[in-house]
Amino acid sequence: MKLRTKSFLGDSLIVLISLIFIVFAFKTFWHFETGSVVQVNFQGKTYGNFSLFQDKKISLIGKEGESIIEIKEGRARFALAPCKNQYCVQQGWIHLTGQMLICIPNEVSIEILGKTKAYDSLNY
Amino acid sequence: MTRSIIKIKTTLLDHQIAKLSAIAIGLSLIESVLPSPMPGVKPGIANIITLYAMYRFNFKIAMWVGILRVFATSLILGQFLSPTFMLSLTGSVLSLLTLYFAIKLPSKFFSPIGLSVLSSFAHIGGQLFLVRIWLIPHASIYYLIPIYSAAALLFGFINGWITYRLLKHHNSI
Repeated sequence: MKLRTKSFLGDSLIVLISLIFIVFAFKTFWHFETGSVVQVNFQGKTYGNFSLFQDKKISLIGKEGESIIEIKEGRARFALAPCKNQYCVQQGWIHLTGQMLICIPNEVSIEILGKTKAYDSLNY
Repeated sequence: MTRSIIKIKTTLLDHQIAKLSAIAIGLSLIESVLPSPMPGVKPGIANIITLYAMYRFNFKIAMWVGILRVFATSLILGQFLSPTFMLSLTGSVLSLLTLYFAIKLPSKFFSPIGLSVLSSFAHIGGQLFLVRIWLIPHASIYYLIPIYSAAALLFGFINGWITYRLLKHHNSI
């Protein structure tokens, strides 16, 4: 397989197509959209869906005590949690579709919803 | 009692396969101790040997080297028949299959670089497919496609370039 004239035309084409595919893949699969609704789940049931554009504080009294969810300027967070770890509080604000905050001790979770449901590993 | 000696007749071809496989296994083992940013993102330097074998000799030798490498490496690392092994085997079989067809492309326009990129895409494509249908049957793994394909292009290109240089050095291209 000895060749005098070697051209990398085919290789360049392969690399170019790969690059286009990668850009396309990033655009398709890494598409994050800002959510508009936050779904609050409490004790295994949906407590309610709330608009992210209406500032609100939701107080839930669970087994451990009081959890406060704060909705402000298109974002949501746990403002207060009764547990020792405070994981949900420390994760701060969420605003993208599919993002989630969970407080296991008090059985409260919030999830941002948008037009389409984003994939997440929790569904599995 | 006479000692019975079992002697396997080996051909020159067998020796060639054994030599190349040994290098490929060595490279795989070196790679297995290198830290990886995320599972599955690996340079796959052993594929240099597969590609080299195909250009220097023929597809049959390359196939032997590619498959033997997967089996031997998994036995050494204790991963034989584990999910890691299955993924590795799927990737290798698919990339070999791709190479089988890609080698028929006119070599005037296609060098080992292009073939390496193609085979690394086939490798990760097969693995992602297996993960999707068997290990993590959920759509969330699609998030990883951009990262894996970027890695496939980068490492495929580098491996192909190394193979190209090796072949050039040995005057077989």
